[in-house]
Amino acid sequence: MEMIAESNALAVGLGELQVSRDPQDQLVAYGLGSCVAVAMHDPVARVAGLLHAVLPERPREAAPLCPKYVDTGIPALLARLEELGAVRSRLRVRMVGGANMLASANAGLALNIGERNIAMARSTLAGLRLRLAAEDVGGNKGRTVRLYVADGRMTVRVLGSQTREL
Amino acid sequence: MEPTLPATFDDRLYSLLRVLATEGIRSAAAGLSGMLGKAVVVSEPRVRLVPLTDIPTLLGGPEVEAVGIYLQIRGGWVGQIMLIMPHEKALELVDLLMELPPGTTDQLGQLERSALAEVGNLTGSFFLNAVAQRLGLDIRPSPPAVMVDMVGAILDIVAAVSGGVAEHVLMLEGAFLRQNREVAVDFWVIPDPAALAAFTA
Repeated sequence: MEMIAESNALAVGLGELQVSRDPQDQLVAYGLGSCVAVAMHDPVARVAGLLHAVLPERPREAAPLCPKYVDTGIPALLARLEELGAVRSRLRVRMVGGANMLASANAGLALNIGERNIAMARSTLAGLRLRLAAEDVGGNKGRTVRLYVADGRMTVRVLGSQTREL
Repeated sequence: MEPTLPATFDDRLYSLLRVLATEGIRSAAAGLSGMLGKAVVVSEPRVRLVPLTDIPTLLGGPEVEAVGIYLQIRGGWVGQIMLIMPHEKALELVDLLMELPPGTTDQLGQLERSALAEVGNLTGSFFLNAVAQRLGLDIRPSPPAVMVDMVGAILDIVAAVSGGVAEHVLMLEGAFLRQNREVAVDFWVIPDPAALAAFTA
């Protein structure tokens, strides 16, 4: 059972986004540290998308809908989902990640990238009139997030603890 | 699969970095020997340029538990240094450094993390000294930070600080040798593209 499910895991790498309407698919962002993952699922159109953004803000030289950045990645994800038939008002939006990996290690190097990513995601979503349904953000632990296209179920895994639903 | 070299890495720069890396790692071993009062040798490092996004795969996947020792380069040359190894290799390295029988260390507490931080500190400092001498610049490493987590999560800091600009990183693969024990470590140097220009100036 687990093996079959795993065969449809699509990795969403650093600075990438993925959308799918195949109910067999799972969209997975592995080992999120300071990065944030934004997940969107439309239960009626049965489409889902996952963004794995690295930094809060797009520099001028980057592409306008670059998924590497939170402020451009979120509208890019929304646009791709709408192309697949998603309707904005039906979207269930969740956010995971934005840890401060250096919090316990060395305060002198702290750059608050995770915190800035979270703040940017909140303001970008608000600007698009998208409401956050759930979140698991901050802290200082890496996370793996898995979004199931079929029913929008989402799990978060942290090393040394049990995988939980979000 | 050899990655295409970015424009900033021409052959001359690459071979120069290779020489520097070898010098730097050798002197790091000398420094480590001095700290321990015992001979520690670092095997001839292999130098490769790899895309940043390939690192998790090289370490067994982004979810694998690993230990990262991270330093930022400050002063006249900007960049980052990351020593990264699978969790069990870090335990082996602690055993080797603290002269414990292999398999003794089974967790990374405060003491063990300090020992690993010191490895990062020495390796980073000696490597940067070699670069500083070559360039005639004042370069210092930040204090080291030790992270124990998933490979992907550890590497986020590197990607974020480089702003996604440094798509390729310089990878030095070496091994710490002490008597007949050996622990392989990967050592990554992520120079800011502007810092690379200093070599060719």
